[in-house]
Amino acid sequence: MAEMHQILLKIGPAAFRIASAWRRPLEELEALYGDYPALTDSSVDFTVRLEPKKPWRRFIRPSVHIGGDFWLPDAAPLPLAQGLLAAEMGMNLQMALGWRRHLLLHASSVEKDGKALVMTGLSGSGKSTLSAMLAERGWRFMGDEFALLDLETGDLVPFPRLISLKNKAIETMQQVVPEHRFGPEMKATPKGDIRHLIPPKAAVARMDETARPALLLFPRFGHAPELRDMGQSEVFVRLTQASTNYVALGESGFEALTRFVDQVPTKAMDYQSGEQAEALIESLWSKLP
Amino acid sequence: MRDSLPLVRALREPTSVEALTGSQWSELISIARAESLIGSLAHRLQNVSVPDRVRAVLQDAIEAHDLASQQALWEADCARRALADYRGKIVLMKGTAYVAADLAAGVGRSIGDLDIMVARDDLPVVESALLDAAWEWVKPDPYDDQYYREHMHELPPMIHRERDRMIDVHHTTLPLTARPTPDAQAILDNAIALENGLYVMAAPDMLLHSVAHLFADGDLAGGLRNLWDINLLVRQFSDADEEFWMELNIRAKTHDLVRELERALRLAARLYETPVYRFSAGQTQFADYFYVRRLLARDGYGRETRKLTRFAFYVRSHWLRMPPLMLARHLWTKWRKGGTPPK
Amino acid sequence: MSLKYRAAPKDDLIWHDLDSMTLLFHRPSGITHMLAEPAPAIMEVMQDASLTAGEIASRLSAQFDIESTADAENIVLARLEELSGLGLVARVSS
Repeated sequence: MAEMHQILLKIGPAAFRIASAWRRPLEELEALYGDYPALTDSSVDFTVRLEPKKPWRRFIRPSVHIGGDFWLPDAAPLPLAQGLLAAEMGMNLQMALGWRRHLLLHASSVEKDGKALVMTGLSGSGKSTLSAMLAERGWRFMGDEFALLDLETGDLVPFPRLISLKNKAIETMQQVVPEHRFGPEMKATPKGDIRHLIPPKAAVARMDETARPALLLFPRFGHAPELRDMGQSEVFVRLTQASTNYVALGESGFEALTRFVDQVPTKAMDYQSGEQAEALIESLWSKLP
Repeated sequence: MRDSLPLVRALREPTSVEALTGSQWSELISIARAESLIGSLAHRLQNVSVPDRVRAVLQDAIEAHDLASQQALWEADCARRALADYRGKIVLMKGTAYVAADLAAGVGRSIGDLDIMVARDDLPVVESALLDAAWEWVKPDPYDDQYYREHMHELPPMIHRERDRMIDVHHTTLPLTARPTPDAQAILDNAIALENGLYVMAAPDMLLHSVAHLFADGDLAGGLRNLWDINLLVRQFSDADEEFWMELNIRAKTHDLVRELERALRLAARLYETPVYRFSAGQTQFADYFYVRRLLARDGYGRETRKLTRFAFYVRSHWLRMPPLMLARHLWTKWRKGGTPPK
Repeated sequence: MSLKYRAAPKDDLIWHDLDSMTLLFHRPSGITHMLAEPAPAIMEVMQDASLTAGEIASRLSAQFDIESTADAENIVLARLEELSGLGLVARVSS
């Protein structure tokens, strides 16, 4: 069997082993995750494998097949230049299919004064960009992809992996964040242009610090600014759709999600610019108990 | 790790894991997940000291499998209700049967589809009752459908529209074209009723089905798991009943599975130290070595290794299932359709 | 003789009211059901008894102080059949 290289990463409560047939994706990961804390021992929760589908594809038009402890049969390979993206997708996949210690919501989250703002919605809603932007303006970044709800306490647990910026969001963030916090630019991936951003230092330093969920938003980009109420039933259904492990958790998932829907005030938020969104969020945040 | 032996050792002898380093743990977990044995491993290691993160991973596996076995029982109950008017026996098979009969082999076992067995003549009745109760065909492909009906030991798979769960309805334990021809009627006649009206196979038949499944279904993929089932069934049945070995030998002849049984017992004894009755297991054979190599072919990243050994078994397993000419026809039809043979 | 029905055992069910719907988590299947009235009310009045659709309809009219009409029984019967398809209610053979 072909040789594999590997590195270990710890992000929030989860530890990963990333094994790759090529050095390059691992070197990129090492540079971007350089300031993250090291694992205290080398046992991990998940292994991600980046490898050629056929041995000769290691050298000839190298393409990266994403595998690991948990995998999907139809995951399409990516070109080697997008190996970093493949690694991130592989880690997401392990969390989505294998994580059981929290209720996982496909959502971004930021924190202020011990209280967390959770943003969820379809891709294109701008939830990831909003969390990245707020993180540069006084909020602590907790995650742009998964929000982890503690099954017993209902608290939000940080999962501050690299922020994955797409298309126009790249330029928006380049205006406020210095160049050294960006990863390589990946053009024309299956998700469009992608560039990873290292979260602010506080997000990494405080990645074991939980927060109380205080506000849930369903942002929608491209519509005149407006806040709308949402019915509990609609919120519940949309959150089950936004959760990758609600069904897998059984009763404890049900308890956690119903508690969340009962306790956390929720709004739909339309906006056309970051400034508008920030103003709307501040108007809600200032009225919270 | 260069093969799955550490997993086999951990299952056989749980305290063997106490010497593992952190990175060896990561390898063991990847292998156990790839072999669908993480749940069984987690239960075996409950009283052994392991690192905190590993304990959490194992606890996750225990909870995931608890939920899966509960849902498997529910799925069986759904089939029972859908077939409430059917008067014949509905026999649960494989993982669901182990859980429903409360056997050690059910503890932490991964369970996929629901497998049931009914009398061959009753297939049309059962099929239409399931279709009425919101199950539907998975593949609308007429070639596959015809292939299943002519040559296989089961109906084409069906899936429930709302619950998204598959059911395989068997009428015997091996494909009709396979060389061994188990006596399906004898299995039904001796099946044992559960409280809820469903059935499981009698002990010797259950073990022999597990044996047939190990060698005949696929290319020995999942073989370590199947062999672990066999190990646990043998231990439990032979402890409970002195007559078990004798009955097993008789039933193996009835089902034309004597050689397969012997080999399975030798492999189980070799890998899991299953206490087997020597007369049933026979002499060690040259080919056993290759079976063991094949069963252990996985590295510490969870990757399948020894591709050549694997390929040899792939071809071989199709030879078992289909006479040679049919194999050629089958592969040709698959290739023309642009499909790839299963790994 | 009419068919009788019995609700799934209480211990198998977790109820949770939302604004417009009622959630029902069914432990044996691990499935979350979202029920609209009158399904939750039907299951509530059934308690542990085996009852016909007619008996359930009259319990409902007593409890909620609504007039029992001829079609009440049909509505109850239709919901019972749906609930039994989901395994939340079982037909009882007498």
